[in-house]
Amino acid sequence: MTVQYVYGVTDAGAEIPGQLKGIDGQEVSLVTHGRCAALVSDLAADRPLGTRDDLMAHQGVLQAIVEAGGTVLPFRFGGALTDRDAVVEELLSPHEDTFVEQLEPLRGQVEVRIKARYVEDAVLREMVQEEPEIAELNQRVRELPEDAAYYDRVRLGELIAQAFTRRRENDGQGLLDALAPRATAVAQHELSREDDVLDAGFLIDRKEREEFEKIVDQVGKEIDGRIHLRVAGPLPPYDFVGQET
Amino acid sequence: MGSGQIAQRGAPVQQSSGGGGGGLADVVELILDKGLVIDAFVRVSLIGIEILRIDARVVIASVDTYLRFAEACNRLDIANDGSSAGLPQMIGQMTESGAKRKTRGALQGAGETLRDSLGRGQQDKEKAGSRSKKNDNDDEEE
Repeated sequence: MTVQYVYGVTDAGAEIPGQLKGIDGQEVSLVTHGRCAALVSDLAADRPLGTRDDLMAHQGVLQAIVEAGGTVLPFRFGGALTDRDAVVEELLSPHEDTFVEQLEPLRGQVEVRIKARYVEDAVLREMVQEEPEIAELNQRVRELPEDAAYYDRVRLGELIAQAFTRRRENDGQGLLDALAPRATAVAQHELSREDDVLDAGFLIDRKEREEFEKIVDQVGKEIDGRIHLRVAGPLPPYDFVGQET
Repeated sequence: MGSGQIAQRGAPVQQSSGGGGGGLADVVELILDKGLVIDAFVRVSLIGIEILRIDARVVIASVDTYLRFAEACNRLDIANDGSSAGLPQMIGQMTESGAKRKTRGALQGAGETLRDSLGRGQQDKEKAGSRSKKNDNDDEEE
């Protein structure tokens, strides 16, 4: 017994790059209805998902469509329907208009994700230089035995955490201001660490990508040694599809 | 799919994977948290994922984080602090107005660690705990 795993929705008549394989190496095909089509593959009905390979396969299928120049609405990992008829009747037919509406602004666009993180030593040094309270505590902690300085160390760390937060407001906004003008849209993610500066998806026109990357490189050079940029893309526009239909 | 290799493009910018796509670590929470969800979907039973998502949300104002910062700060060779990189102008000139970001208190990167380890490709232990019920209710939030 198999079900249809759904990767995303693309244009009717979209080309699937040859021999595209999805989860468990199953061949990916289109189920078409009207103006849009779902990217699906067979999946054993009782097969629990979630291994690294499964995630990679989901991403890989969507990535292949993006790299072939197609437009795709990426679905969240882990959605399936009972069979190909159900894909038409429960997914494509009732949502066709919404899908077309959502595909339209994404045509010719890709997502580029940028994460910026402080270079810890450089910024700590900066804090010691600029913030007397941190400098003083740092000095005191150095002079005391580890046990005796426990609360001072906690306090020092807390001050540093607060200093990161203050810096991030300026630096994150500065990065955003520098990077956003070439983007069609920007989606900011919540940060996961103290020393994160920015985590955002940028929707970029394929024609603007080269220019955008130049800006990224330029910004990267300007902040070199203090903030580190990590760039992933082009990606399917995960951040720019509605969350619920 | 990108090979997951990391190439340096211009010194300070790290581009994950030459062909685009990035390593799994760069996209895993996009795959799990973003993207369209359809009400008609039967959610396939997911293993491991719940843990991953819950961990990503465990946010603790952690004394451990503070102690780690304190230690890192203590390790600095202050004698050399004349040599620190100057503040980049571009950033320095930005005002604090404009879109205000909510910053959470102290954040613990537990989820990140898990994601990173996923990215490095060693999480098959999760297979062991697989359940086979359908209709997982993994997607309650957002």
